[in-house]
Amino acid sequence: MLQLNNITKSFSGVFEPVLKGIDFSLEPKDFCMVIGANGSGKSTLLKIISGEHKPDSGKIKRRGLISQVVQDVNRGTIPAMTLLENVALSQMRNKKPKFSFYSRYKKEVMKKIEALNIGLEKYIDQPLGALSGGQRQTIATLMAINSGGQILLLDEHTSALDPKMQVTLMEYTVKSVLEQQLTTMMITHNMEDAIRYGNRLIMLHKGRIVVDIRGEEKAKLNAKTLLSLFHKYEDQSLLSGGENVH
Amino acid sequence: MSIDLVLNGLLQGLILSIIAYGIMIPFRFLDFADLTTEGSYPLGGAICATCMTIGLHPVPAILLSILCSGIMGICTSLIHLKFRVNTMLAGIVLSTMAYSVNLRIMGKPNIALFDCAGLFGQNILINILVLCVILVMLVLPLALFLRTDRGLRFRAVGLNPSFAEKQGIDIKQNTILGLFLAGGLAGLAGSLMVQIQSYMDVGMGIGIIIHGLAGLMIGEAIVGNHTMNRQLLAPLLGALVYQQIQGIALSFGLAPSDLKFFTGSIVLIVIAMQNGGKHMKI
Repeated sequence: MLQLNNITKSFSGVFEPVLKGIDFSLEPKDFCMVIGANGSGKSTLLKIISGEHKPDSGKIKRRGLISQVVQDVNRGTIPAMTLLENVALSQMRNKKPKFSFYSRYKKEVMKKIEALNIGLEKYIDQPLGALSGGQRQTIATLMAINSGGQILLLDEHTSALDPKMQVTLMEYTVKSVLEQQLTTMMITHNMEDAIRYGNRLIMLHKGRIVVDIRGEEKAKLNAKTLLSLFHKYEDQSLLSGGENVH
Repeated sequence: MSIDLVLNGLLQGLILSIIAYGIMIPFRFLDFADLTTEGSYPLGGAICATCMTIGLHPVPAILLSILCSGIMGICTSLIHLKFRVNTMLAGIVLSTMAYSVNLRIMGKPNIALFDCAGLFGQNILINILVLCVILVMLVLPLALFLRTDRGLRFRAVGLNPSFAEKQGIDIKQNTILGLFLAGGLAGLAGSLMVQIQSYMDVGMGIGIIIHGLAGLMIGEAIVGNHTMNRQLLAPLLGALVYQQIQGIALSFGLAPSDLKFFTGSIVLIVIAMQNGGKHMKI
């Protein structure tokens, strides 16, 4: 589904490479959590996968379209357009556009918004910008899942929300990913989420994958083990003089 | 203020609204500040006047004007897209060049069309009706287009280009389409204007972009532009109101030579009012 071979990436003005030889692959329907300290290369890795950045060296193979949700809700939506228009746009992604009225999507979009279960269906003809940040991010997630991609990349998509909204959005995300059988990579700083969800977990440290847990081992993972893994690497880097923030 | 002045203002306002629609498309849907109108409007007039003096029927003369002015719009978009020239600069450079082209087309600085039968007659009410029909023929298809899949994707280009690209929307193609429409509308307005005044002067349309912008922005100040219907109503309403304000100012003794200062002030005041209240760009 997705295969990366020996990917390296540096940015001008940054001393150390951000990614140093990443070998990584995902099977269809994998749900992989990605953790690591700030500057460990998580976001860069996702941007390489999405094609936003080109690697300096190494090979990347992807099968299928990529959808993504990032922390900044304005990047994944059009606030000046209505809910219907936003979701309809995601629905027609990479299809040949027609000269038919997009109001034909209304019923279908209404159902999808109702399924979110946060009472947004009455705002279907309101501009998205009028909703709260959490509501908009939920719609952005719906749009990404709705847009026909087989690979879903989530970059801390719940982190700007209040705790209650975080849980709601996370539950919706997981439910949809399983229903639609998407192959997913999710960056998170939330250790509970990292433990509870997904069938795989990788940890990045200074541009390398230092932990890769999958299957049964992932299912058995608990907070104590994860934290000790996290500290093992991060404390080392504190002692040796900090991380390579870019 | 006499009824004649009001009717004449209505007539001029309807033509100005066509220009305002032409300005609205790149400014509001493509986030492309386009000043090509300054050249495509007189280009339309020059082509139409020249065609009519050689005996061409007014309708094909208008269609040819629309086509040529539309192509001029495409040139502006290509200069911006291919050479990364600032949109406004691209428009102004082409408009300056259009002045020479217009003189070449016309062969002289002005053409009188008193002997040529145009679309318009002596009766101002019928003339207004003709313009209303033309406007319906323009705005209705535009309104319908904007409600289709293609129209929705077209609008996305200006509102969030990077998002639009991720949706597989062709930014270049849509920009070229939008600038063709904008240029074509300006050319149409120019060709209608020379037929109404039975006269074409190469200096026609200096500052026309500011008049059109004034119309668009006054309309948006009155009805807003937060829904599609309001956005589509704004150029028409604004152009009519603006033309009447201008008529009132003239009847109160404003010298015609002071009009451009007056118009510029209106544009600045409307921008200042809107920016004071909420986020808004020209």
